[in-house]
Amino acid sequence: MPKTKVVFLPDDVKVKVSRGQTILQAAAKAGIMLRGACGGGGSCGRCRVQLRKGGLSSAGTGKLPPEESEKGWVLACRSIPEGEVEVFIPETSRLVEHRVLLDERQSGLLAATAEDFADTAPLFRRQVVKLAAPTLADNRDDGGRLLWALEHEYGIVNTRFSRQVLADLPRTLRESNWQVAVELAAVDGFFEIQGVKPTTGKDPVFGLAVDIGTTTAAVELVDLETGEVVGTAGTYNRQAAYGDDVITRIIYAAEMPGGRAKLQEAVRETINGLITDLINARQIDRNDIRAVVCAGNTTMVHLFQGLDPTFIRLEPYVPSVNAPPPVRAAELGLEVNPTAWVYCLPGVASYVGGDITGGVWVTRLSATEELSLFLDIGTNGEIVLGNKEWLMACACSAGPAFEGSGVSCGMRAVPGAIEAIRVVDGGFEVIYNTIENKSPTGICGSGFIDLLSSLFKAGVIDRSGRFVQGLQTPRVRGGEEGNEFVVAWAGETGNGADITVTQADLQNLLRAKAAVFAGVRTLLASLGLELGAVQKVFIAGGFGRFINARDAIMIGMLPDVPLERYKYVGNSALKAARLGLLSQKAWEEMKKIAGRITNVELSVGNKFMEEFVSALFLPHTDVTLFSSLQKG
Amino acid sequence: MAVTIAKERWSSKCLEVVLGSGLKQIKIGGETTLPFLHFEGEMPNVPAVALEVFDAPPVEWPDFLSSAFEGVLGDPAAWAKKCVEYGADLVVLHLNRTHPDQGDASPEEAAEVASAVAAAVDTPLVVLGCGVDEKDAAVLPEVANALAGKNCLLGCATQDNYKSIVAGCIAGGHAVIASSPLDINLAKQLNILITEMNLEPQKIVMDPSIGGLGYGIEYAYSIIERMRTGALMGDKMLAMPVVLLVGSEAWKTKEAKTPDTPDWGEQKKRALLWEVTTAVSLLHAGGHIAVVRHPESLRRVKEHVSRMMQPQTY
Repeated sequence: MPKTKVVFLPDDVKVKVSRGQTILQAAAKAGIMLRGACGGGGSCGRCRVQLRKGGLSSAGTGKLPPEESEKGWVLACRSIPEGEVEVFIPETSRLVEHRVLLDERQSGLLAATAEDFADTAPLFRRQVVKLAAPTLADNRDDGGRLLWALEHEYGIVNTRFSRQVLADLPRTLRESNWQVAVELAAVDGFFEIQGVKPTTGKDPVFGLAVDIGTTTAAVELVDLETGEVVGTAGTYNRQAAYGDDVITRIIYAAEMPGGRAKLQEAVRETINGLITDLINARQIDRNDIRAVVCAGNTTMVHLFQGLDPTFIRLEPYVPSVNAPPPVRAAELGLEVNPTAWVYCLPGVASYVGGDITGGVWVTRLSATEELSLFLDIGTNGEIVLGNKEWLMACACSAGPAFEGSGVSCGMRAVPGAIEAIRVVDGGFEVIYNTIENKSPTGICGSGFIDLLSSLFKAGVIDRSGRFVQGLQTPRVRGGEEGNEFVVAWAGETGNGADITVTQADLQNLLRAKAAVFAGVRTLLASLGLELGAVQKVFIAGGFGRFINARDAIMIGMLPDVPLERYKYVGNSALKAARLGLLSQKAWEEMKKIAGRITNVELSVGNKFMEEFVSALFLPHTDVTLFSSLQKG
Repeated sequence: MAVTIAKERWSSKCLEVVLGSGLKQIKIGGETTLPFLHFEGEMPNVPAVALEVFDAPPVEWPDFLSSAFEGVLGDPAAWAKKCVEYGADLVVLHLNRTHPDQGDASPEEAAEVASAVAAAVDTPLVVLGCGVDEKDAAVLPEVANALAGKNCLLGCATQDNYKSIVAGCIAGGHAVIASSPLDINLAKQLNILITEMNLEPQKIVMDPSIGGLGYGIEYAYSIIERMRTGALMGDKMLAMPVVLLVGSEAWKTKEAKTPDTPDWGEQKKRALLWEVTTAVSLLHAGGHIAVVRHPESLRRVKEHVSRMMQPQTY
């Protein structure tokens, strides 16, 4: 189905919608809730929006006065974009007040990066090579002839054969009349010739980008010849059965008999499950996946490769290796082409892994003039501060709450997840929005940020995140584990159960946000810098399709700097893995970045704990840090 | 050679809190400098020293402690009078019998005891619950109601039970003790939460949770010191006076409980020194009310304070 792009102002949120969908539907997809008492029938006239660019076909103007229609005002529910459009949404048409949404930017910076590298060499590629047929005067061996041609005609040096390829080489060369497709895998410092094939009837080649998160895992299947992403999939990391955080898993790996093998198997099966989903959906042969790039924190990489993680946990926190060498897929048990190489992005330290190196590269933080901050908020929160001159990083444990785990009704940001919430004063009514407008089945990270902020604003919880006593609303009730708040009643949900948030959940969320903010403050303080010095903030993480920066500041998770300094980059680790797959150059740059980042250990001294406790408050014990909130 | 005395300039001061209603009403706080630095700023009110009363006869008290209150240990009102005779600035009533494991007395019973004690003395009264959050949340509002208008100090309110206690204090016109577990941030958070319920800041006294000498006193010292410097630097949510619950800490130490031994010497001397040293140290950190158990401790702490209140000659 052809798609068309709609840009919503002033949020500057872009969405792609199928042709024939209305502006109202597009807005919902973008996470903007419009008013509409008539349910999209065009009769109430409340979903007024103004066309700023492009054309719309309109099925009636409803109650709009003609002078307004002339100025481009239309009813969102009656208007269908014709091609790319820009639409302004006034405050009065919004169901909830203006929210600054940071959408996951597919366009701009990140997409441009992919194009930049589209013509450079992927880690696995095919090179068509034309050879001169041997003669009595030129009777070099077949193998030597091929290597010589690669080096002298195509500039590909330091190439090695595998025995398997050599076995059938003479016949292949002659049968294809000395013109062959050479399959080259870039391994640390050399190229491996994995196949020499006739140039006709070639198979597709795919690569796999993998983000191994502590709580969730995501993969992208990439066509290595076009650079296009042909499929994506995500799920929870099956290692969660052995502990929520990296520390528990390291202990399990180190102390339980067979623990390390079990954890390796769990993550391998997680990834294999995703691969199977993808190849079934796309009808492709798993043997056509010829290269895999993984981004993960240092512990995840250790467990994935079966390396001993014991000393990551023990002072002075030294990993076995920051940049592990490529390994064959067969050796790791990944169900792709067994000869495919599996690469892991180079990390920095025990708690600042390759996923972060990747994020820094993707956001171009390492090349900016301005002082920039990169936050990757997952089970571990990692923070990088710096610019093109210097880079500092630290890590803190945020817990899995914002990834939808460890909270009773949390879920990943998939269809049916509540991603935006408003609670009406006193907690009587809740307005929410779910991904793809499916009936809600849980709450994802961006929803939790909204929830915390609006429960506080509505007077349902106090600054310490505890329920206010004596509220009259039926939504606050005693549950099995103390008080809870009903976000959605069973009748509205997709699984027939109430969606609730408990006191324990709220404390979990509070701890998660406090860890992030405390990490930022501590890192800045170690350099004698204040929050205001930060000119750009890149947020990465599995919150959902967007995060509401205003709400994130309101709860004291993100520093109180002007909203325009924020950019949400979504899953930057996965993007880095994909781009690394597509470009040897990117790979080299990431290696350099990993070497440039200085790691700051937060566990040294008690500054972090102090900051953490003072951040366990909405927004913070020191309200002067959030002065923009006091202005109202 | 003339010596120039370096003087710190502070931009703000501690809050002044008034406790009690009658002639013996006291004021605490209001300092514009660190404790006892009279050359540098004002210390308008003398730190107060309080004695403790319990609603049930004590068990396992050494003789030299119970003998000081002989004949009154079964009658909280008479006990309180005795405290005033000994010179206590305030009387602190512990409602231990409300503890679920120590009689589980009802809020009404507790309120009766508190009223009897309040009627017996004209010094300001401090009423402390049993320390079980939920029970205190039920008991203290009842006590607040029974003592309405007497401007008592009720506690301890924690982050988990402050709401009903503070509501009781507002209704009865009392001040509240905001108790936090040795953490400057948590102390401040609780003060913010309480003031957001519209209790005036000058109706709050902070209990930072102290440790006795040799039992973490340095943590308490540094928290109290930070509260004071915070107040002097203008942090309104750390400007409340500090109460030191010394008796409960000092008398549970091994040093106070161990009978006379050749190595450690006389128990009475040792126990009193333990209580006095703890109280005095923390008054120097920035405490405003020292709550002690033995009348001899009261005498010695007061003596020390009165010496420290002498103006400095430079």
